[in-house]
Amino acid sequence: MLALLFLAAVAAVLIAPLLGTQSISLADVLRGEPTAAAIFWQLRLPRVLLALLTGAGLAVSGLGFQTLFRNDLAEPYTLGIASGAALGAVIALRLDVAESLLGLPLIAPASFAGALAATALVAGLAMRRRSDSTSTLLLAGIAVSLSCSAIILFLQYLSDSTQTFRMVRWMMGGLAVVGYGDVLWVLPWVLGGTAMLLLSRWELNLLLTGEELAASRGVDLVRLRLKILLATSLMIGALVAVAGPIGFVGLMVPHILRRQVGYDHLFLAPACVLGGGAFLVLCDLAARTVMAPAELPVGVLTALLGGPFFLWLLVLRRNR
Amino acid sequence: MTALLAARGLTWGLAWGTGGRPILGPVDLDVHRGECLAVVGPNGAGKTTLLRLLTGLLRPAAGTVSYLDQPFSALSRRALARRIAYVPQLRPSHVPLAVEEVVLLGRYPYLSAFQMAPLAADFQAVAEAMRLVGIEELRGRPVDELSGGERQAVFIAAALAQESELLVLDEPTIHLDARHQSDLAKLLLRLKAESGRTVVLATHDLNLASLLGDRLLALSGGKILEVGTPAEIVRPDVLERLFRARFEIVRGGERPVTMLELS
Repeated sequence: MLALLFLAAVAAVLIAPLLGTQSISLADVLRGEPTAAAIFWQLRLPRVLLALLTGAGLAVSGLGFQTLFRNDLAEPYTLGIASGAALGAVIALRLDVAESLLGLPLIAPASFAGALAATALVAGLAMRRRSDSTSTLLLAGIAVSLSCSAIILFLQYLSDSTQTFRMVRWMMGGLAVVGYGDVLWVLPWVLGGTAMLLLSRWELNLLLTGEELAASRGVDLVRLRLKILLATSLMIGALVAVAGPIGFVGLMVPHILRRQVGYDHLFLAPACVLGGGAFLVLCDLAARTVMAPAELPVGVLTALLGGPFFLWLLVLRRNR
Repeated sequence: MTALLAARGLTWGLAWGTGGRPILGPVDLDVHRGECLAVVGPNGAGKTTLLRLLTGLLRPAAGTVSYLDQPFSALSRRALARRIAYVPQLRPSHVPLAVEEVVLLGRYPYLSAFQMAPLAADFQAVAEAMRLVGIEELRGRPVDELSGGERQAVFIAAALAQESELLVLDEPTIHLDARHQSDLAKLLLRLKAESGRTVVLATHDLNLASLLGDRLLALSGGKILEVGTPAEIVRPDVLERLFRARFEIVRGGERPVTMLELS
């Protein structure tokens, strides 16, 4: 199964850049035909690579959270990471510094900072109680998430129409990039986060048998929660900074793959990396071709898929 | 004879608004090597709390617990897990793994994050554990498909895979029907005979305690009421003090059998 996913991911990366509003042929690209080559190397390939990395990061974070909270409906967004990132971006847009402060686009660092601040706040809130249980983390995350959303609404009220439009559009997510700068920036975060999760695979497997049992085997639960929280929030923070919040990938991909690959994280984690990447590449492909020549923001597409997915989950649960 | 596990002044639950009186303790107790110690007592006596303290899951508010003279505070979590294996009473209702995978997870104290796969020694321990418990034919089955008794056996096998000298069980036979209770009791007796492990178990079932325990520990209101052989504890006067209910001895001897007296 893993081999299949690997092939799917590779196929997606190879084929997707060739498809789009303006179709280009591989022959043209390899020949060095200027338009085709420019589209392929500067626009399409970086975009596809970014989609691959983003999808991988989102899916593997979703997996980590679902195991940690022993709740199949958990997502990094549940803990307010995306709301924090969005708040950072919204503040930057409101202050009109998003485009340039000292000539540097500030929206990315602002949203990264927002994501980290939200995570720190959630961790801090949850750690104050001596019983650092997962439900405390969840409550803290929901509190932070709702507060950020409220502040975002307030800032939108205070903004003029241009700023508001920009905010709303940013929050729809988008993978349109030029050049490899963003891809290279995101790469270490995704690799690092995935590595950290993979290294915790035994602990994550143990969590499936219960927290008490895991602790009796020697798992340091507090440390594990912090590790996963840190790995995922850094990864998600970086991804949201570049691509905006893209929801539901972290929810849908682990779910679907779990039924094929099983629950063992040794296989499920790499599967999510490959499957998530391929999934988002395909979503992005659909997003930029389905309403050609206009481009649908990929976040809108994943959100549209999310609703029916939840319904499908519900139907599945009823029938079990 | 050094005690395998020694607790001195063990106290827990001081800060819970009980007016300065702890929920458990102070408790002094020794667990001897190779024995089976059965902890009995009414609901709320603190059996589970005591077991959690003895396995290092809870940190005592006061007092110390030591394993072969090494205090728990000096042992890392994994080191402790290599010495003590715990089978808790409550577990998630849905464990989406196969039997073999669950038993393999018992090897966690020996696994490093960087190994690609478990070593031969790990698989050997798993095979041995499954053989001792008698669940080899179930190895590939999903745990969720098993009956309550079989599931319990799987978790005991996982605890055995930890290759620890001490095995701690919290209410192992609760919710099991007679057939499975019998299987489990026989398993525990076999374990004692074959592997020489030390066992501490907490149970509501006085007769099980009398059958399996070399010593019984009567716990009430967070304090030790009495410690002694089954014949010394399973007596109407002791049991009445412990449970505030009347019991009659149906069969005497070294391992008495008792029943509620409802006259």
